[in-house]
Order: sequence, then structure tokens, then C-alpha cells
Amino acid sequence: MGKKWEWEIDAKTTDWTWNLKELLAYRHLLFSLVRREFLLSYQQTLLGPAWMLFQPIVTLITYVMVFGKLIPIGTLPPALFYFSGIILWNFFQDSFIESSGTFKSNINLFSKVYFPRIIMPISTITTHFLRFSIQLIFLILLIAYYAIFKDFKINFTVVTWVFPVAFICTGIISLSMGLIFSVLTAKYRDLYNLVSLMTRLLMFLTPVIYPLASIPAKLHWIVVLNPLTSLFELFRLSLLGKGTVSIPYLTYSLVFMILIFPTALWMFNKNGNKLIDVI
Amino acid sequence: MGEIILEVEGISKLYRLGTIGTGSLKQDLNYWWTTSILKKENPFFQMAGSDSVKTANQFLWALKDVSFEMNQGDTLGIIGPNGSGKSTLLKIISRIVSPTTGTIKGRGKVSSLLEVGTGFSAELSGRENIYVSGYILGMKRNEIKNKFDEIVAFSGIEKFIDTPVKRYSSGMYVRLAFAVAAHLEPDILIVDEVLAVGDADFQKKCLGKMREVSKTEGRTILFVSHSMQAISNLCDKAMWLQNGKKKDFGEVSSVVSKYITGVQQHQLRQSWDNIEEAPGNEFISFKNVELIPHLKSVDQPLDIRVPLTFKFSFWNKSDNVLLSTGFHLFSYSGECIFDIPAAPAYFNKGLIEGECTIPGNFLNDGSYFISLIIVKDTSVQLYYFEECISFDLEDYRGEIKWYGKWSGAVRPNFPFRLSKAEDA
Repeated sequence: MGKKWEWEIDAKTTDWTWNLKELLAYRHLLFSLVRREFLLSYQQTLLGPAWMLFQPIVTLITYVMVFGKLIPIGTLPPALFYFSGIILWNFFQDSFIESSGTFKSNINLFSKVYFPRIIMPISTITTHFLRFSIQLIFLILLIAYYAIFKDFKINFTVVTWVFPVAFICTGIISLSMGLIFSVLTAKYRDLYNLVSLMTRLLMFLTPVIYPLASIPAKLHWIVVLNPLTSLFELFRLSLLGKGTVSIPYLTYSLVFMILIFPTALWMFNKNGNKLIDVI
Repeated sequence: MGEIILEVEGISKLYRLGTIGTGSLKQDLNYWWTTSILKKENPFFQMAGSDSVKTANQFLWALKDVSFEMNQGDTLGIIGPNGSGKSTLLKIISRIVSPTTGTIKGRGKVSSLLEVGTGFSAELSGRENIYVSGYILGMKRNEIKNKFDEIVAFSGIEKFIDTPVKRYSSGMYVRLAFAVAAHLEPDILIVDEVLAVGDADFQKKCLGKMREVSKTEGRTILFVSHSMQAISNLCDKAMWLQNGKKKDFGEVSSVVSKYITGVQQHQLRQSWDNIEEAPGNEFISFKNVELIPHLKSVDQPLDIRVPLTFKFSFWNKSDNVLLSTGFHLFSYSGECIFDIPAAPAYFNKGLIEGECTIPGNFLNDGSYFISLIIVKDTSVQLYYFEECISFDLEDYRGEIKWYGKWSGAVRPNFPFRLSKAEDA
């Protein structure tokens, strides 16, 4: 016993204070926040959890009708092509936009009680990941339907099994960008409005409603500059068997992810405590 | 007991007042462009000349070099006027904001209750909220499970536990929220004025629960309140913060009585020796304003029972004027409690004095300020001396064991009797 301190608070802004032990101690908070999110989204709604599928299906129908005639998508069945793009994109967009508002929307909580701040964006991405998983299962069922009834050929190769790489990397990039922007939007309110606008524009630089193969050579570089591009193509290549994936571009996406993720964690942690004074 | 559980050493917190970094992106870009690229002075502080750079970059020490220690089982009350750094200190110990300098070392789990209902969502049921809020406050799954029934019983809302809390009355909401908080089992509990909520019965329960927690379970409590009664009731020790500095620390009774007399002295009188510097104009100049409490002894607190005499004197600078004065009493929120005019009379040049007494047992507890208006010919304003006196009236409840805010602008002690009219 004696004078043994268990914790210490001082002025230093620590760079890596999230020890996993602390996060682990708060895991139940994470689960209950995710649970709360689902309860809040679907309570007192007529369709309830069916909204998780209803929303992308309506988007799918819109895209087929609007873009179906305009943009050549190759030989894939349009429903499969668009739906795979839509769900991956929604996963990216929703988790990015929501986590970029972490400080803005949780300031009341953050200024009243301490818990590892990163729990909030993690719960955001977990929620959207679960939603995405359900949509992914629907996509797989849809693929099976096309394979059985519509004569759609699936080739099971090694590549088929790498589709988790695509959405895991997309998720990490989304979370990282969300963390960075959560700090920026807390400092500069203006940016928050810009975030959703930017995201909408980014969609057109990502192969969501078109395949990379249909992009004219002149514009190719812009789309490839987007680190999400290879991941979306990889997602389609693995699940649907059609996609333009090259090792250099994919490496570029992975390196981008490996660089941005620790940067984002560092930035979020470094500024987390200071921002409470500013907001 | 007796072992040191919390050591606060030289804690300071600096806030920037004329902050440059909190504006819009445009402002920051502009700042960066002018200072870094054009190598000019700060664009935002140039209007009023070079001196303004100093004043605009004002810093505020919300806390300055505060140190203290707490042993296990101590209950420490933190008192001080608004803006003295009480809440900042609690936030630093709770790890919500980080200190500018200094260190805090401690042992065991810290829980802070800076507000009632942290983490509650209106849409969720009481049951769900107990879990979410419990987790946010740092409880473990098993802790909540084991105490769930106890929490529900304490809050007294068994019937509504599966109803969304948005359908609760505000009293029920507060009771449930406090019930969760009361069943935290931290080693150090930090409480910021949560007692000012709920009905009388529930408040008694809360104070009782807190006392029980500290006395029988040996938990350490830090408690901020403006109610000297609650502090005296609950705490063994007290710390008085004034302008971010520790002014006194020690046994609760001595600190509280020093605080009460200390606050009394510096707000209750103003006088001017030099007529040039005194407030006034070409018609009148003030000599002195004073509020004299009729205390029975020196250390009696200035509470609602004390009669107060407001005295003032001013120089009248013109002959043969019909003068009158109006004595305005305002509550801290700016509401006028009363406006008492003095009967008009003719005066020549010279010193004029006046006084008016507010009887004891008339005003409610709270903060007040007095403004004085001087009027010529019953309607022409000569001078309005705003907020010349400010004072706080402490609460006094006597035998009534209820600590909620007593409502009403005044609390007159009119005779009020209950008697039996008929046997059952």
C-alpha cells in the first residue's frame, strides 16, 4: 500500500494515451451506443429495420432508371452492379459524415463526463458496419438469385474471397477521414457544411455509378487518384467477377490507408481534450 | 480512512479571452495570411492602435496554483462566488479538460456528476437509459445488472421503466437520472450542484444517500454548491476559491463562516472622498452608499431573517430644487422586486442623506442589487446610479429539512396557521 498513485493528470497532451485496456473497459458502452443507435433509428417507424434494405433498394431503382441509359456499365446485370456500388458507398459516406461531426454533436456529453472520446466515432462506424453487413447479405442473396435464375456466371477463385479487404479498407479510410474532419469541423464550423457537399462530389470520382473501365483515358488519372477507386473496383471484381484492379493502384490505396489511419488517431487524441475548451 | 487518495498540486488553468483560433475558417486563414505570409501584425487587433495588442490578448486564469489533498472518506465542499473556478476545478479532476500546469495524482475510480441525466436519450425507455447512462458514467455491466432493481426502486418509477423517458414528467426524469448516479461506486465522487432538483422528499433522499455513501462506505466526495446549508450539512472540510485562487481550506464551519463574512464586507458599501471622482453629474455627486445589515452578532450570516438598512448621501449642487429619490431593488436576473419613492422636498445646495429599511423575513434568498434614481420636480431624472450596491442573502430554513430552491421573489413571513376544524 502506502502512497502508490494509480493515475495522474497533467498538462501534457499525450499522443497515445488510449491504451487498449481502457478501451476494453468501456466496451459495454460501445455496445450499448450501437444498440441505442439502432433503437433510435427504427423505433416508431412503420418499416422498422426494413429501412436498412428499403433505402438502398429505392436508390438502386432510381439509379437504374436515371443512369442506366446514360452510362455504359458493361455486361453485368445492372441491379448487381449498382447495388454493390451503392451499399459500399453508403457505408463510406454515412460513417464519414457522421463521425466528422463527433465533437459538434457530442459536446454536451463531452463537457460533462470523461470517457475515451474515440468510443463515439468507433460506435458510429460499428453501427454503419452492421447496417452494411445486412445489406451485403442481401447483395449475396441477390447474386445467388441471378446465378440460379438468370444465368449469371460466377467464377469462384481466390479473388472471390478478398472482398472483405475492400470494405475493411474502405471502413478504415472512412473512419480516419472522419476523425480528422471531426477535429477540423470543431475548430471551423464552416467545414461541416462543406463535408457533405464534398462527399457528394467525391461520389462522382468514385466508381459507384460507372465502372473504371468506362472512363475516358483523359479523365482516368483523376479517378485513380482517389484511393477509394481501387477498393470499389476490387469489391466488384471479387463479388461479381468484373473490375479493373491493378497492383500499383491497389498498393496506392493501401499505403494511403496505412498513412492516414495513425495520423488520424494521433490528431484526434492530440486535440481531443483541448477542443472542449474551444467549442 | 486517513490515507491520501487525491493529491492536487499547483493546478492552473488559463483561458484566452480574445481568442483568435475559435472563429471561422476565414478568420484563421486571414490571420495566417497576414501574420505568416505578409509578416504584418495581427489583423484583428489593429483598430485601436498598438496598445490594443496587449489588451486584446487578455488571458484569464480560471484557476491559479491550487493545491490540496484529500484523504479517503473526506467530504470536501468547494465554495466561492460565480466565476471563481469551482466548476473548472471539478472538470479538471474529472479529466474533461486538461490543466495548463500542475498535476493531480489519485487512486481508484473517479466518477463525476456535473449534470443530472448525462447520456440520457429522450426516445429510449427508462431501462435502456439506465444502461447507456450507467456505461457512460463508467459502470460495469455486472454492476448495473446487480443494482438494476435497486436503482429502479430508488427512483420510484417501477411502473414506467419501459416507457420512453420523453413521456416522463421532469421530476421522474430527474429521479431516474439521480438514481443511476447514486448507485455508482466510485472511490472519488465529484458532484456539482445536482441537489437543486427534484421535490423535497427526493432531495432529502439524495443528501441522505450521499452522506451514507461517504460515512459508511468511506468514499471521498468533492461537492460544489452555492447552498451553505447543504455544504455545512454534508461536508467535513471546505475550500474557498476566490478568482481562481485558494483563499481558505479547512474545517467546514470555519471556512463557511469566514466566506459569509468575507463576502459581506466588500460588496455592501461604496464611498467617495473626492467629489471629482464620485459618480454624479453637474446636478449631484454621490458621497456614499451603504447597506447595513442588522446582525445580532459579528459572525451571523447575512440571511433572509436580517433587516437591512440602505443609507446614502449625495451633494446637491443647485438651490431650491424639488428633489425625490427612488430606491429600486433588482434580483440578480434583472427583475425589479420593488421601487420605493421618497416623498419629494425642496433642497438648497448641500449634503443630502436618506435611508430606507427592508425588514427581515421579507426577501427570498438570492443575489440582489440596488439602483438609486434621483428625480427633480417628481419627473425629471437627474441621475440614475445603477447597481450601486449588490448583496447576497443566504438561505435560512430553520427546522425545515428541504434544500430545494424556494420559489418566489419575496418570502414574507405572514402569519399562516393550520388548525383542526372538525374531528374525523
